[in-house]
Amino acid sequence: MQMTDLPPAAVLFAGALLLPLFKGKWRFAVALALPLLALADSWAVITQGGESFIPFMGMTLQPVHVHAATPVFATIFCIMLAGGVLFSMNDDRRVELTAAFVYAGGALGVAFAGDLVTMFVFWEVMTLGSTIIIWSGRQHDSYGAGLRYFGMHALGGVALLMGIIIVVTQRLHEGAADPLAFGHFSAMVDGWSHLDWDNAGMWLILVGMLVNAGAPPFSSWIPDAYPEGSTSGTVFLSAFTTKTAVFTLLVAFAGVEVLIYLGVYMAIYGVVYGVNANNMRRLLCYSLVNQVGFMLIGIGVGTKLSIDGAAAHAFAHIIYKALLLMATGSVLAMTGRFRLGELGGLYRTMPVTMWCLIIGGLSISGFPLTSGFTSKSMVVQAIVDESSRMAALGEPHTYLIVTWFLFQAATAGVFLDACVKLTWFIFFQKDSGLRPSDPPWNMKAAMIGFAFICILLGVFPGLLYQILPYQGEAAAYAKVVYSLEHVMVMLGMLGFSGLAFFLLLPILKRGSYIHLDIDWIWRRFIPRFWKEVLLPLLQQLDNAQKAILESLPGRGMRDPSLPAPIARRMGNMWAVSVPVFLIVLMLLVYLVAYFVLPTL
Amino acid sequence: MSDEPKASGVSTRALIAWLVGAAVLVAIVAVDYTVHHHAHFTADGIDVDAMPEFFPLFGLVSGFVLVLLSKTLSIALKRKDTFYADD
Repeated sequence: MQMTDLPPAAVLFAGALLLPLFKGKWRFAVALALPLLALADSWAVITQGGESFIPFMGMTLQPVHVHAATPVFATIFCIMLAGGVLFSMNDDRRVELTAAFVYAGGALGVAFAGDLVTMFVFWEVMTLGSTIIIWSGRQHDSYGAGLRYFGMHALGGVALLMGIIIVVTQRLHEGAADPLAFGHFSAMVDGWSHLDWDNAGMWLILVGMLVNAGAPPFSSWIPDAYPEGSTSGTVFLSAFTTKTAVFTLLVAFAGVEVLIYLGVYMAIYGVVYGVNANNMRRLLCYSLVNQVGFMLIGIGVGTKLSIDGAAAHAFAHIIYKALLLMATGSVLAMTGRFRLGELGGLYRTMPVTMWCLIIGGLSISGFPLTSGFTSKSMVVQAIVDESSRMAALGEPHTYLIVTWFLFQAATAGVFLDACVKLTWFIFFQKDSGLRPSDPPWNMKAAMIGFAFICILLGVFPGLLYQILPYQGEAAAYAKVVYSLEHVMVMLGMLGFSGLAFFLLLPILKRGSYIHLDIDWIWRRFIPRFWKEVLLPLLQQLDNAQKAILESLPGRGMRDPSLPAPIARRMGNMWAVSVPVFLIVLMLLVYLVAYFVLPTL
Repeated sequence: MSDEPKASGVSTRALIAWLVGAAVLVAIVAVDYTVHHHAHFTADGIDVDAMPEFFPLFGLVSGFVLVLLSKTLSIALKRKDTFYADD
């Protein structure tokens, strides 16, 4: 067996097992070396076009397969893990670090998964790793948030698994040669023809993937769970789950129109909730939803350029989002405060952190000379191209025009929100009197490294374009990306959106508030409904029934002639009365229905 | 940026920051007038985005609309951040 027969994720899983054996500097060295080793291994597999097959219940598992989008995602997952390790190393978090390796290993495993079962297994491994990271957060609600996070992803995982079972069963019936294959309903491999929407299995798979992408109505798990990680934990969390979902959607569902609508919703939702957010890391989680929305739009448009754009944007986004969360994490670590209203004036003593945050903020807004500009603008251009193509064919395309304008508005919004607002409230506004220094050297190094990549990809986009799914398309685009018109459009739009922020500053001062989201239904409404309506109702029913029973001749349990201990014990036995009553009622309804409706 | 505000209300640094910001914005608009802008959706007769002042205006209006939308929603959805912790 050759090294390339093993999925590169194996390196990271081995690391997770090995790391606890090392201490101090050695662990630091090993933890930094392993992601780089995984990166080298990934590229060995990619360049050799590695494939491996394992027989499984008469079918074939394919734990190593190189999809068109694998190179870009495998690369960024490894770089991200290395950066996160560097950032976390001053803090001795053994459990979190091991969990991060498991988590990143899961993501890397999905990027190389050639079949649905392998994909699903790594998918669930990610859920385990990430839940442990949230639980090691030691924030005030880490435990509860981790539970809710796990519940949400367990639910998404069940949808995914059910979908996979249905799809595989159907393929077996049809006598498909490779029933487990992942990617065969992919536009990237086979064109659009394989999409079959009568197929409930595909819908379930799509839903399972969308839960992890943070699509509505389940966007709120991101701002709920991620801010409860530790300073380094949140950095890891921001990178893998949503972007692995983007990868799988890109492989399986490119060109599916509904993704455009979901993406537009997420792009706007992220800004609207972000503007209101007071917890600085929660604000960034909202803008994470906003950015994944842009990626979904790119996947939904489904042209070569838009798919390249979505993949490039995922790459760029992992870097600058991690950078932003590192910078805010540094502020949290050095001040112990996370509410924007309690910070301010830190520019005096945290200049490195401030400049890193600004570079991350400019990148997320797609400012010229940053990575966001060279990646996001591909999706923007693809929408225009696709719209004119459809206009020429006389097909309906108004939704693309609307999408384009909303996309631009959300871009302006995210600059206001995740760049200007964040920088202003943390580093300027009124002086909070805090004088924290910049964080320890390893945190600074990780931030400076990622800030450097943001600029590097902004200035030399070709570095990223050459590993995208459709390099030719991207190479052609590289020639026009820095047209003066493109640059001026962004400068004008972002500059004046910044002006809007300062004009509206009086109404943007924050108190300590959160804003209700759809998760209110399961965090507040359902528990309260049970506690205050359903449970009292059942108790009333129970009492009523007891009263009836006691009034019956012979009076069942409460026979005063029985010794007290026996009577009490018999009384306890009536706890099943409500269920029995309900079952009898149900059987009665069924019996009546059986005679009234003979067709049942 | 606004350092310690003086009794008059606005510090000189804040004033300078506003002036520099305004100068940058004026410069952007000025340069914008020298650049040829293409309309993106000519096939549909939409050419408003070919005007040089379109994108600055669009950024400003987007910022206002999104913030005001956000603040409007906030009226109904705002809760103390101990809301769920009270359970």
